[in-house]
Amino acid sequence: MSSGVKRDRDGNARTKARQPAGPPGRFHDMFEGFRNELDEHHDRRERIIKASRDVTAQSKKIIFSLQRVKLLNQDAPPHIQQDIDTRLEEISKLLNGVAPDLQSINRYRYTSPLRCLEEFIEALSFAHYLRHQTLITHEQSQAAMPTNIILTPHDYMYGIFDLFGELMRFATITTAQTGELAGREGRNILEDIQELGCAFEMLPAVPTKDFRGKMSAGRQSVKKVEKLGYGLVVRGSERPKGWVPDMRDDAPEPVSPV
Amino acid sequence: MSADTPLLDPAIFAHLKDKLEEETQVRDTLTQIVQRLERAVAATQGLLSRVHSTPRARYPTLVAQLEEAIKEEVTIVGELNGVASQQPYYKYNSKWARSVQNAIGTVIYCGWLGGLGNDAQPGELGRLLTLEQVGEIFNVPTNLKDRDAFHLTIEEYLLSLTDLTSELARLATNAVTHGDFELPLTISAFNKDMFAGFQLLNLKNDILRKRADAVKYDVKRVEDVVYDLSLRGLIKRPGEGDTEMAAAE
Repeated sequence: MSSGVKRDRDGNARTKARQPAGPPGRFHDMFEGFRNELDEHHDRRERIIKASRDVTAQSKKIIFSLQRVKLLNQDAPPHIQQDIDTRLEEISKLLNGVAPDLQSINRYRYTSPLRCLEEFIEALSFAHYLRHQTLITHEQSQAAMPTNIILTPHDYMYGIFDLFGELMRFATITTAQTGELAGREGRNILEDIQELGCAFEMLPAVPTKDFRGKMSAGRQSVKKVEKLGYGLVVRGSERPKGWVPDMRDDAPEPVSPV
Repeated sequence: MSADTPLLDPAIFAHLKDKLEEETQVRDTLTQIVQRLERAVAATQGLLSRVHSTPRARYPTLVAQLEEAIKEEVTIVGELNGVASQQPYYKYNSKWARSVQNAIGTVIYCGWLGGLGNDAQPGELGRLLTLEQVGEIFNVPTNLKDRDAFHLTIEEYLLSLTDLTSELARLATNAVTHGDFELPLTISAFNKDMFAGFQLLNLKNDILRKRADAVKYDVKRVEDVVYDLSLRGLIKRPGEGDTEMAAAE
């Protein structure tokens, strides 16, 4: 058994002895068929994992940009919108590249390599909230998908779970900047996050670690925003109206209120 | 855009709730079916374990019993097919993959022992049922790609083959105990071809890789048996008259 001898003693590359030692085994053809099938599967998986990683990164950057928006119910400032549009286009390219790998039976086959959709829904739902102060629906999210990949209820739900954290950060930043909870007459972000929290509490619990983790992270976020509201009532009177802390556009998040 | 637009449409969460409840129900139903399948497979495996204490002449009796036990498996896999095909295949397949793999294992083992023949392909000792033939026996599709329904997968089949080589390695030893010196040769050739087959696959670092790597030990165990027999001149090896072994006679 020589291991990888490829040259003779004069240094000339040997033509690889391609014919196997004996006749091919009885099951040669069958296994060759299996090899092709399995290779196809692994290649698809690799492609999806790569695209997914990039979509996640782009989605996270969209969310960072959105956190620089200061006002609810308004179009985002042009430079932010432009940044977001570029990234959405990039995501669209990435997802379109793997869409053929995710049709029919293969949609659920590659659910776990395609975790990026949660992050993407988080970005979509956050943008939607900032613009309209409402929760994006499953249908609207599906319509916003840049390609014909089916969005499962699971993708949607877990994406919305992550919206809690973004709402909390947004509430914290804008409250520090404006001295009041963002919102419009009748409804502010504290009430919104509480309502969203209640909606999730009413769902039948899913017995997975993932669900429990997201649920408890959501509860934490609600509590943080509640503390903000409390702080405003208790200490708000000590601050002159219209007082704005000295913060640059992209200053880091203020010290967590908890 | 009016101030009294609610944050969320109640239909959103009503829909999610329905989906989650439906999921729980599907899981419960599948759990019950899979449990029954496991029991049926265990019963067949119990019968199969008798092969090690059965001389080859009595295989047909055993095979007849096996075929009867497999009918029960086929019925339950049919039920599983009915329920699972209503759902996306890969959403729930982890629930049954293991049991189905074991069920496939019992069928190919029974086929190897000469069972499950039909008019086109009579049963014969040492015969390997293909994935398609196993699918026909269970009356379900195999390796589906173009539509989303229940089927037997390549991975399940390959894993069950690794079970077979290991079972046959044990059988080789026990056949000798029963005075059957021919069977180890059949098994040795079969396991070698199987090992050659597995070597054609580009495996990832997963369970299949681990199991396929173990096939070589099954080959070796049978080779050792064959070696012992040859050494003692207990087998004639037709067509190998020019080997040193024969020359020594």
